[in-house]
Formats: sequence, structure tokens, C-alpha cells
Amino acid sequence: MATTTERQPSEKSRPRDLLSPQDYQEMLAQLYLARYFDVRLIKEKKRGRLRGTLYSSHNQEAVIVGSLFGLRSDDWISPIHRDMPAFFLKDARAGWRNKERIGMSIDEVCGQVWGRATSPGRARDNWSHIGSTRAKIIHSTSMLAGTIPAAAGVVYADRLNGGNSVVLTFNGEGSTAQGVFHEAINFAAVHKLPVITIIENNHWAYGTPTELEYSLPDFARRADGYGIPGLIADGQDVLDVYDKVMTAVEHARAGHGPSIVECKTFRAYGHGDHDDDRAAKYRPAKEVDEGRRRDPIAIMKANMVKAGLMTKADAKKYAAENKGASEVHDTDFPEDVVAYLTEGVTSALKAPVPSAEEGAMWVFREDA
Amino acid sequence: MASLMQTDATIKKNYLTALKEAIAEEMDRNQHMICMGEDIGLLGGAFGVTDGLQEKFGTERVIDMPISEACIVGAACGMALNGKTVMVEMQFIDFISCGFDQIVNMTATYHYRTAGEVAVPMVIRGPAGAYGGGALYHSQMNEAWFCNSPGLKVVCPSTPRDAKGLMIAALRDPNPVIFYEIKELYRKREIEEELESGDEAIVPLGKASISRAGEDVTLVSYGQTVWQCLEAAENLSKEGYSAEVIDIRTLVPLDQETIINSLKRTNRLVVVNEAPMTCGFAGEIMARISQEAFEYLDAPPMRVTRMDTPVPWVKPLELHVLPSADKITEAALRVCKF
Ligand SMILES: Cc1ncc(C[n+]2csc(CCOP(=O)(O)OP(=O)(O)O)c2C)c(N)n1
Ligand SMILES: [Mg+2]
Repeated sequence: MATTTERQPSEKSRPRDLLSPQDYQEMLAQLYLARYFDVRLIKEKKRGRLRGTLYSSHNQEAVIVGSLFGLRSDDWISPIHRDMPAFFLKDARAGWRNKERIGMSIDEVCGQVWGRATSPGRARDNWSHIGSTRAKIIHSTSMLAGTIPAAAGVVYADRLNGGNSVVLTFNGEGSTAQGVFHEAINFAAVHKLPVITIIENNHWAYGTPTELEYSLPDFARRADGYGIPGLIADGQDVLDVYDKVMTAVEHARAGHGPSIVECKTFRAYGHGDHDDDRAAKYRPAKEVDEGRRRDPIAIMKANMVKAGLMTKADAKKYAAENKGASEVHDTDFPEDVVAYLTEGVTSALKAPVPSAEEGAMWVFREDA
Repeated sequence: MASLMQTDATIKKNYLTALKEAIAEEMDRNQHMICMGEDIGLLGGAFGVTDGLQEKFGTERVIDMPISEACIVGAACGMALNGKTVMVEMQFIDFISCGFDQIVNMTATYHYRTAGEVAVPMVIRGPAGAYGGGALYHSQMNEAWFCNSPGLKVVCPSTPRDAKGLMIAALRDPNPVIFYEIKELYRKREIEEELESGDEAIVPLGKASISRAGEDVTLVSYGQTVWQCLEAAENLSKEGYSAEVIDIRTLVPLDQETIINSLKRTNRLVVVNEAPMTCGFAGEIMARISQEAFEYLDAPPMRVTRMDTPVPWVKPLELHVLPSADKITEAALRVCKF
């Protein structure tokens, strides 16, 4: 039986070894995109232009970027509340400005955030509860861990249809206590379905710390109970996330079944923007300072400098790292990143709000 | 002559066979249909509704699932995302509560929240109903939960022909359907009838049927209590009242028109359901009639339901809390004599 340690990729050959210098640049660009999207939304929200709760992905971007980077466009994902950038980053390697790419466009994602008719779900449910059969993104509900069964079903059907896509589900460590989490992974394990469960272990589930959520030193060990690999990634290091997730993807694609990949990270702010002040009370300041010390953008830059893909001077150029949303400015980000997201915001603000009557539409499909 | 009668008898089929035929015919017709449930393959289902199905269609399309109702429904939803139609068996409809969130939040809302992008063709079916000593957790009629969850169709046949016809219609419907099978009727000899196949057999969703025509009072029901209404109608005729019995067959969407048309003639209404009274479907029918057809009523409508209790195990207790032909007769007489 596979154990948590056996399945770690060997140091000698790692999936990252096949990445090109351009891939490294692209990964860094995607980290900036994710960070800027979050910062921009925090600012827009403060200006009173947004409804709903914003669950910041600040400091957790490497998990999103590193997980998605190696996927094919026919692979599926199911993001959660803290993964808003995942919606436009899936398939972004095909070039985020490429209008022909299959993934969800920034206009669609911003249309959703602003509650416009240009949202893929015409803004019928809020924020992260969108998806697309075209972009292969499973539409989640609010019920934590609730899409893992659907993820298993999607790839089961894909296999029957002759495909070999994999599915990545994103989950906070808190949601792993849901019964359906167990049910779905058990089913996937029995049928060796290519379901990769990403745990974004940010050590807090709203106001509850990990030691009150489960009783394991490393969550990945839960995998042993299903007879599947459990891998641990440094969630601040996009390359390490990429290595571990791609190891799981290759394992799945070869027909060996599911894996759990625990990415250790830290939640930068409160649970949601409604909770920032209270979070300061339940989370010790020292823990927060330590948790935020390892910024994924800084770590990627250091790795690129080490690999000779970036000069130290260049690394200083866009200094978005180690800054909170209120301290960072547009000039701390590459111009094309700012332009891309600004276009999305502008298009959303111009887009129409769905008509009131739509509220009563589409309960049933009528073409029975 | 004797051999002829023999053939005649073999053509008549029971409620369970009707369901079995519907599922098998649809599996044959629709290569993208999948069946999921506990013990449905190797064993052929706890009651045998899926007997022989796995042998014919293979383990990939007829899946023996772990005991995980939420996962079964959720996975079916995911399969629908990839073009499949799924029949989900709940071993007993009581266990549907373990998959509740996946049904009402994930499945029922899918079409709505995606503005029509994703339809989920899924039939969740299972043995339901009391009177067999099944006790609290093998006797339920919990249809009201799902009638109160927009996006689901809800069906409950009372005859073999309806069981087959509605099942085919449900399996061809692009929306999720919760399908209540009355297990006490599965093998009931007295109700066996001849069955059609394929398109010929279809009974459209959302159409009530008149099980018995009458002039003085309308008895409205579905499922097992339709048979009690028919028995009550017999009793009533002895008292000089002619009762019309309407089997709504589909709860959502409800064929209100057939009920109102009947009331235009009878002007008196009794609604019967096997489920508990409070917020039960009988109450919904009465509310709609009060709102839409008050002017046709000559007496306050009455409902006969289970008491607001769980279903107890031992027979006298069980019968005490459940509707019966006598209770329906009594209610109808009060309405007739008002
Ligand atoms: C089934 C369910 N119960 C409760 C909630 C409310 N809720 C939303 S997010 C959250 C905390 C989730 O923590 P975790 O899974 O660790 O993800 P994180 O927010 O830390 O990324 C809670 C309790 C919910 N959405 N769904
Ligand atoms: Mg968490």
C-alpha cells in the first residue's frame, strides 16, 4: 500500500525539470495576476462597489497557480470560496490574453463578481459559485466539500466516454471534516478515479484552528486510510506545489487513481472581509506575522534568481511581495497584469445587470 | 380454453416488473444511461428492481456503490455534467435523507444557478411507504421535503402501467425526478395489468388520472392511498354517495386542472396522503383549491393523513397513525353531509 512518504517525487527528477524558462516567467506572472486580482477587489470593495463577502486568497496564490499550471484544458477543476483567481487562471498557460483559449475569461469572472449578466451563471449565485462545462469548471454550491462527489462523477463519465481527463478539487482543511469528503474519496479510491484532492491548509477554518478540526500531525496522512497516496507540499512555493500536484496528476492519468495533496499555507487576513477585525482577536499576532512571512511571490523570485532566470535587480522591479492590500500599489505589479484586470473590471462595470424577471427563470428545463 | 387463460394471466405484470422493464428498456435505448445504487448489480437490488441489469449492461453502467447516499447523488450529478442520464436507487426512500444536501442544493438548483447551462437528467427512485411493519426508517413517505425544493419533479405511481409509463417519462426528462415506488404494491397480485413497451408505454409527467368517476365528492390522492380511496368509494356507494377518485400521479408539476374540473361537478373535496399532516402535500392541494376554486366548494375540504408522528413498528400502532379506507369514508361522509 502506498504511504505518504513513498509517493513524494524523488529529488532527482521532478516535474519542474521539464518547465522552460518561459514557464517560470509565466508562473510568476500568474502569481502577480492572482495577487493583483485580490488586492484590486479589496480596494473596490472598500470603495463600496461590490456586494457579498470577499474571501481573500492573499498569501495562498502559489497553491492555485502551482496546481493549475500543468493541467490540460480537458481536465476539470472545482475551486472554492478562496480560489477566485482559479476561474481565470485555469488554462491561462495557453496565454491569458488569447481570446481563443477555452478557459473562463477575466470579463466573465469580473462579470460574476460585479453581479452582471456577463457572468457565466448570469449572477444567480454569488462569487465563487460559478462554473462552465466549456472551461471544465464544476459549479459549486456553498456546501463545503459538496462538489467532490460530482468531481468523481465527472471523471467516471469521462472515462466511459473514452477520455482520460483528471479532476482537481480544492478544499480548505476545515471542510475535510464533512462526511461527503470521506464518501467521495472512498468512492474514487475504489474505482481508481483520477480525482486529486488539493487541501489548502491555511491552518484556520473561519474561527477554528486545525487542532480542533482533525487529529493528525499532517492531514495528508488521511490518505493512508483510503489506500491512496498523500503528498505534502510547501504551499508558499509554487514550484513545490507544481511538483506534488503533477506527481498526483501523472499517477491518476496512468490509471492508478486518486491522491490527496496537502499544501501548507497561511490565511493572510480574516476569514472574509467581514471578519478582518475579529480575526485579530482570535488569531495571535505572532502566529499571523510568522504565517505571512513567506510570500509566494518572493519565494518564486528567489528561485528564479538562483536558477539564473532573473537578475537580482529585476527581482526588485515589481515589489508586490510582503505588502498588505493597503500598502501595495498598481506600480508594484507588471503593467500587463494591471491592464488585464483593469479591462475586466471596466467591462464588468459597463455590463448590464440581469433583468428582475430572470429571478424566476430556469427552475426547470422545459424541453422535456 | 385453459391454456388461453394461462397466457392471459402471464401477460399481466406486477408493479415491480413494470419498473424493471422501464429501466431495462431505457438502458437499452440510451447508451448514455447509468444506474447507481447499493447492491443493485451483483444482487439485483434489495427488492429486485434491477435484477439482471448488471449482467446485461455491465459493471461500468450498473454500479454497485458504497453505502454513501450523498456521494451517489453527487457523483450522478457529475456524470450529468459529462452527458450522462443517471438512475439512482435509494435502497429505501428513507435513506434519501443521507443524500439530502446533494439533492436539494447541488442537483435541484443546477439548472437554475447556471442559467440553463446545465440540466441534470437524473431519477432518484426507491421503495417507499408504510403498512408493512417497516417501522420508523423503512416506512417513510418524505415527498414533501422535495416538493418544497424548487427544481425537482416528484412522482408517485399507484398502478403497474403508471409505474412503467412514468418511469420512462422520468428517465427521458432533462430534470431531476424523485420517484416514489410503493413497496407494498411491488408484488400485489390484484393490481397486475398488461404493459406496453417504449413510447407506447409513456405516461407523461404532470397529468392526473381519474381512477373512478363519480358525482358527489372528489377523493384526491397518490400512491398507496389511492387504493384506499377506491375502497372508500365502494363504502360510500353503499351509503348512496358516488365518489370520484383522482390519482394525481405527479406531485410536481401538479395537474390542478383535473382536480378543479372534478370539483365543478362534485363540489366536495377530500385529500388523502400517507405522509404526516403538517406541511404535507394534501395541505398544498387544499391550499391551492381554496385559492383557485373556492367558488366551487359546497363544504369545507378535509384531509386524511398520517398523524403527525413517526411510523411505529407493531401493527396496531402502525395502523392507528396511518390513513385507512374507513378513515377516508368517515371524512367523505362528513363532507357529503355538511
Ligand atoms: C457545509 C458548510 N458548513 C458551514 C459553512 C460556513 N463556512 C464557510 S467557509 C467556512 C470555513 C472553511 O474553512 P476551510 O475549509 O479551512 O477553508 P478556508 O476558508 O480556510 O479557506 C465555514 C465554516 C459552509 N459554507 N458549508
Ligand atoms: Mg482553512
